[in-house]
Amino acid sequence: MKKVQLSPPLLALLLAIALFLLGGVLAPGFVNVEQAINIVRLSAFLGIIAAGQTLVILSGGEGIDLSIGAIVTLSAILVFRIVDGQNGMVLPALAVALLTGFLFGAINGLGITALGIPPLVMTLGMAGVVQGSILVLTQGQLVGKAAPIMSTLISRPLVLGIPGVIFIWLALGAVMWLLLERTAYGKHLFAVGVNRTASRLSGVRVPRTVLITYALSGLLSAFGGFMLLGFTQNVFLSLGERWLFPSVAAVVVGGTILAGGKGSYWGTMAGALVLTLISSLLTAVQLPEAARQIILGVTLLVLLSVYGRQRALRE
Amino acid sequence: MSISLTARHIVKRFSGVVALAEGDLTVDGGEVVALLGANGSGKSTLAKIITGVLAPDEGRLEVDGQAVTFSSPQGAIRRGITAVYQELSLIPDMTVTENIWLNHEPMRWSVRVDRTQARRRTEELLALFQGAVSPALMPETPVAALPPDEKQIVEILKALSREPLLMILDEATASLDARQVSRLFKLMDAWKADGMALVFVSHRMEEIFRVADRAVVLRNGRTVGERAMSDVTERDLVTLMVGDEPSAAAVAQPDAAQPVDPSARPRLQIDRLRSGRVHDVSLAVHDGELVGLGGLRGQGQDDLLLAVFGALPFTGKMALAGEEVKFNHPRQAVKRDVAYVPGERGSQGLLLIRSILENFQLPSWVRYGTPLKMGQARQDAAQMGASLRLVMASLDAPVSSLSGGNAQKVVLGKWLLREPRLLLLNDPTKGVDVGAKAEIYQLLEDLRRAGTAILFYSSEDEELLNLCDRVLVMQDGRITAELSGVSLQKENLVAASMGAVEQAGDQGGSSS
Amino acid sequence: MSRFDFRRLNARHPYLLALLLLALALAVNYLLQPNLFQSRVLNSNMRTFLPLMILAAGQTIVIITGGIDLSVGAIVSLAAAVLVTNLSPDAAAGQIALIVLAAAGVGMAAGALNGFCVAFLRLQPIVTTYATSFIFSGLALWILPRPGGSMPQQLARTYRSAAPLGLPLGIYIAILLIIGWTFLRSTRFGTYLVAVGGRPDAAYASGVPVTWVRFASYVLAGLLAAFSALALTLLTSSGDPRMGDAMTLDSIVAVVLGGTRLSGGQGGVAGSIIGVAILGLIRNIISFANVPTWWQTLVDALIIITALAAPGLVRLLRSRRQA
Repeated sequence: MKKVQLSPPLLALLLAIALFLLGGVLAPGFVNVEQAINIVRLSAFLGIIAAGQTLVILSGGEGIDLSIGAIVTLSAILVFRIVDGQNGMVLPALAVALLTGFLFGAINGLGITALGIPPLVMTLGMAGVVQGSILVLTQGQLVGKAAPIMSTLISRPLVLGIPGVIFIWLALGAVMWLLLERTAYGKHLFAVGVNRTASRLSGVRVPRTVLITYALSGLLSAFGGFMLLGFTQNVFLSLGERWLFPSVAAVVVGGTILAGGKGSYWGTMAGALVLTLISSLLTAVQLPEAARQIILGVTLLVLLSVYGRQRALRE
Repeated sequence: MSISLTARHIVKRFSGVVALAEGDLTVDGGEVVALLGANGSGKSTLAKIITGVLAPDEGRLEVDGQAVTFSSPQGAIRRGITAVYQELSLIPDMTVTENIWLNHEPMRWSVRVDRTQARRRTEELLALFQGAVSPALMPETPVAALPPDEKQIVEILKALSREPLLMILDEATASLDARQVSRLFKLMDAWKADGMALVFVSHRMEEIFRVADRAVVLRNGRTVGERAMSDVTERDLVTLMVGDEPSAAAVAQPDAAQPVDPSARPRLQIDRLRSGRVHDVSLAVHDGELVGLGGLRGQGQDDLLLAVFGALPFTGKMALAGEEVKFNHPRQAVKRDVAYVPGERGSQGLLLIRSILENFQLPSWVRYGTPLKMGQARQDAAQMGASLRLVMASLDAPVSSLSGGNAQKVVLGKWLLREPRLLLLNDPTKGVDVGAKAEIYQLLEDLRRAGTAILFYSSEDEELLNLCDRVLVMQDGRITAELSGVSLQKENLVAASMGAVEQAGDQGGSSS
Repeated sequence: MSRFDFRRLNARHPYLLALLLLALALAVNYLLQPNLFQSRVLNSNMRTFLPLMILAAGQTIVIITGGIDLSVGAIVSLAAAVLVTNLSPDAAAGQIALIVLAAAGVGMAAGALNGFCVAFLRLQPIVTTYATSFIFSGLALWILPRPGGSMPQQLARTYRSAAPLGLPLGIYIAILLIIGWTFLRSTRFGTYLVAVGGRPDAAYASGVPVTWVRFASYVLAGLLAAFSALALTLLTSSGDPRMGDAMTLDSIVAVVLGGTRLSGGQGGVAGSIIGVAILGLIRNIISFANVPTWWQTLVDALIIITALAAPGLVRLLRSRRQA
């Protein structure tokens, strides 16, 4: 990163700062340290949930994971139930949730690679299956309790008034960077995203790489659900659903190419900041939900037309 | 109504490379002109310019004495010019009728397609090939269900349905069987009698002699001659295509090949391999041997190389250094020190938007541990870049920023980093500048000396003649001739590629 | 050879599988609900299925051209919001016509936005229509902030109970949709749709205006979504800014169940209409089969995912057998 060039993540970060300052102009009292920390905290949850989406979109082949919302909810409900207020159960509960997410993600990957179901349809169908599993599991009764240690470590100020989730997010950022840039899997993921034929002809096992990617997406969504529970302290059936669209949007805003093969998790992190800021700003200027949705949709369309053009028929 | 078309001094360049330097062709209604030339001589380019698919850079086209410019194939169609191409323009899920009449359907009340009429006229067209196609080829059959020969026939009928004044048949007989070809020739005779002008591009000599009135010969993008078929021989035409200059002497021969020990186990041995377009190919390549695959494009060379590399399923036997192998995935071949340099650099060989470093290391990342030892990976890539004399801004620059020759060096380099024992190459110098070509030749020669077994397909006959110890000529998925030593001459190579087997030396197979 | 025969069979009778499934679903449903074929029950089923049938018809057209529209549900919500906020229970015929036309216009405009982005800007259809779905939902929420509104009572009553010749009105409309598609398919434009979805490059080489065909498919889907909204609001006599949301996935599932290939180039509206009927009957069966309440969503989703996986499974098994 020695180049002094506006890479998409940097651009998104600058956009976030500009939005924050704009907030100060539009809504007096918007710009202060507490608000800044709060926005980063909210962004952290979106950023964590969008981590798996980043991997899936990088894998190309019209890759998208629409089961993320449902897996977030399922994971939160599982943890809520297993922990039931006991600090000692947090780690086992996390393990169960992560494993469940991984398995659902792996099924997505199998359907996409072995059965050739388009990712959109497969993950959308899987979202239904996960929702159905939640209903079977809970029988409509959301019993349980988050553990006190979760809110202490996740959402309450931990060090210097900064909540733990922000540290966890930064750590995840580092892990994701390692995964993408310093493992053979990461290198293969980019390759598969750019050109599956060339990857295969270079000895890369394309289906395996894609399958792992969807499984990781399930795992990371489950982790997102766990973190979200530490924040909300409570669960409800549509807990994860409203994070789905922002998770796609954060990846796109962060400059990851929808066709796959180019992008970074840093970009998604900056994208999460931008989206959280837009949404906070719209709340601060007291725009109704309807307008917020429209503005989000238009923002994504504009960004898509900047980054996401497809090949012309005649070249 | 009859047409007269003249192409004068047509020039076409593709990103600086001259594909057609001076293409001249005249064809009149009521005659069949054969367009002849070796690989890369510009036949297809000239054909595509006449039908409006490509725009010429220089020169002029005249129809009935008037200069014309076609901005699209539609423009040419309006003047009565259509073409039958090898790469099919059919839509698999539509029926034969729908495909033939696509975009010029007979209409009823100018809203609805008149299916009855379309069906009837399709039946009339299909009747032209009655007896030469299976009874399952009906107007309502979806094209996807047809075998390749019948698809080609539908393509021919699609062109015919436009009632053209001039029809270009570009290798249209390549996938047809003998019966279908002879039917097509009878039809061509009839169309000719009706005043249609026909341009026939084929690589089969006997077909050209059977059907054409005149032959126009292209060499290196130039029209070098025109002969009436009645007063030429096969030999004359081959000489015209090859040129007068003594070919092999122009470029220095490699040092006499190291004598290959015939008792040593070959690095690669395949026995009766069938896959895709390959039928029953057997061959052996020894360590330190550079074996060429010749023949016209698309005779099964691609599929043969892909099958050996594990990228296409095959039947038959294959052994590496005496050990029988059955690869299901290129990865297994890579592990056994086999490397493949694909023909389409951009779509099969490179990750265009990724860095040079990542392209070099793509097959090798797993060797750098977890986390990857990037310092080591960079150093290895930099060394390889230096030894290939790769001209680049930095290892982090996207590979799309490189010239064709340098990009091809990256494709080669990524395999050289793995020190392959068997190197498969599919037309590696396509679109590569002269300087880089010479470097690639030197590289192959060095590898061969170092004991690498190389199997090398090239569309440029000169390369095969100058680099290879032996050349196996492929036609229709079979090896039809083997040239080596004295028989490895340009005339023989061209003649064997064109199916004129009796001139292909002593080892030629039988003509099909 | 057996593969060719299969393809031919499939091409000649593209709805064969769907019809078999329909017969099976009908039989099971009949066993569980013996009064299924009584006029009253039939009518109630048809009028419930109809909105999705209309919507799936539009989705079919988009999918055949090689696209997909994830915003059709949101367009239903938007058009429904336009209808229920502007029509009083005793609206006059002229007013009804005007508002229905307005809703149709809104649907087409929404489809035109999708079509513009996908065909002219060449944006990826999945994410594009996903993004526009937020715009349309937002607009629906703007027009109709909370569930409510009304529809003309007389018209709603007719829609719910009219049964010319003893058959439910819905059946006539479904047949009308199929006739409409058959007509469209018999025009040159109909050939274009299939050609563009099958092989855009070959279609382009044959002179088909690929971009405009893609654009038009989205506009048609938008228009049909508006008609779907009309049927839906007549059924419920009120509106909800989210009422179309769940219909998007169902419309895609119905299209796939009906034998239309998701990658485009093959299929038809009749299959999708059968697909909707299958989907509806499955839901009937689940509710009549005493599936425990909390299991219903899961069973439903599993059936759907199995149906979606079926073509891939068949392909996988066949290639295993050949290898």
